[in-house]
Amino acid sequence: MKIKNFGYFFKEALTSLSRNRVLSFATISTMTICILFLGVAVLMTVNAGNFMNQLESDIQIIAYLDNSLTEAQVAGVKGKIEQTDGVEAVVFVSKAEALQRMQQKFAEKDYDLEKTLGKNPLPNTYEVKAHNPQEVAQVAQSIKEIAGVYKVNYGQGIVERLFEVSKWVKIISIGFMVILAIGAIFLIATTIRLSVFARRKEIYLMKLIGATDWFVRWPFFIEGILMGLVGAVIAIGLLAAGYSSLVNNMQTALFFIPVVYQQNMLINLYLSLVAAGALLGVAGTYISLNRFLDV
Amino acid sequence: MLVQFYNVTKVYSNGVKALNDVSLKIDRGEFVFLMGPSGAGKSTFIKMLFREEIPSQGQIFISSRSIVRMKRSEIPQLRRSMGVVFQDFKLLENKTVAENIAFALKVVGTRNKDIGPRTAEVIQMVGLKGKEKSFPGQLSGGEQQRVGIARAIANRPLLLIADEPSGNLDLDTAQEIMALLYDINRKGTTIVMATHARELVRSAGKRVITLEAGRVLSDVCALEL
Repeated sequence: MKIKNFGYFFKEALTSLSRNRVLSFATISTMTICILFLGVAVLMTVNAGNFMNQLESDIQIIAYLDNSLTEAQVAGVKGKIEQTDGVEAVVFVSKAEALQRMQQKFAEKDYDLEKTLGKNPLPNTYEVKAHNPQEVAQVAQSIKEIAGVYKVNYGQGIVERLFEVSKWVKIISIGFMVILAIGAIFLIATTIRLSVFARRKEIYLMKLIGATDWFVRWPFFIEGILMGLVGAVIAIGLLAAGYSSLVNNMQTALFFIPVVYQQNMLINLYLSLVAAGALLGVAGTYISLNRFLDV
Repeated sequence: MLVQFYNVTKVYSNGVKALNDVSLKIDRGEFVFLMGPSGAGKSTFIKMLFREEIPSQGQIFISSRSIVRMKRSEIPQLRRSMGVVFQDFKLLENKTVAENIAFALKVVGTRNKDIGPRTAEVIQMVGLKGKEKSFPGQLSGGEQQRVGIARAIANRPLLLIADEPSGNLDLDTAQEIMALLYDINRKGTTIVMATHARELVRSAGKRVITLEAGRVLSDVCALEL
């Protein structure tokens, strides 16, 4: 684009916007709704992902030790676990501590579990966290092979199912967003086509006089971008208001579901939606305009 | 030679053969009438001059350049060397007389500082001084066609193409428009004009190409008709 023409293109775009007020309003409304849906979909994806990550990060391996090990041997097992590939942290839970936990969990205060059982039946254990929750099965297998460990437990079966669910949540939400974006582009293209159609004679005339394709396109692109930006700003306003009230209510009523509300994440999301608005405007205009340029 | 048609045939996708083996040449500075009944191929001929259509077979050269082999990006340049006048004027209703002409100059990349003076000049030339700020709807048919002509010549074209320019006008007004076109032609612009109006053609003493069913039926001076 020649810089000297920018003012002209911009003025043409504004004139067209105000001349076709009803169509502009319809297009902006369509944009707002599409971007709002897109924003809701992204927030749902982010939150689902966050929830899954939290569940995954809670996964740990419990290594049960032989009762016959001496203190030195117990410490030796710890060293070996720490040297295993993929291990992030190891915490020792003595049999006394384990009994105390059980007492707290199951027994009333005035009931002495150890007296009833006669002796502490629980083994010493190590609680192991893996770097990557996805590798927990291999890490558990390696730990099981260490001498002195007689059993490992990491929620076999449940963990695998969790990963499966997590994978499908990601695939479905990304697919949903892609379909939503494609639908939005065609919806917007249809509305813009109405405004292009209203000016087809002018476009034909411009082409016959000797206008280049880009000379015809620019005002329409600017018009599309402006409508996309306005639609995005309205959608973000609605989204921000809705989400902050949701976050406030969730924290009191449904505190156990973690909601993402980091400022950075939200600002990035809102900026992306503004860009998406401009992009939708350009894509919609491009699709609807090309047919009319073929003169 | 400005325009050269070599064995041009045009068959539309619906099977209609609009032109059939047409060969002819138009020299610089000529005034050529294109006559023939509806459906004879006049519109197709005109559309090929500014490359809205291309031949199915044959070759067309404008200023020695083939429009068949022309790239899409070269078309605007071709069209800038021409002006087109339409039967229905094709003026932008929401722009004034001066704005319609200035718009055409802007579209073809005229420098901003040259647009105003050139607009005033062509308005004077077609005799519309004083009507600069009128909208097309406020003008008579003849006046609207003068705006159309002013717009077509604003960019100083080599070739002026007029498609039934007097088709919507009464005979007196049509004759005024013809006088204006002859004047433009005298100043050196080549003109190709498609028309039905025999009475305008007969008195002119210009070259007349008659098409019928896509073929050149005759190509003579009007006095021989």
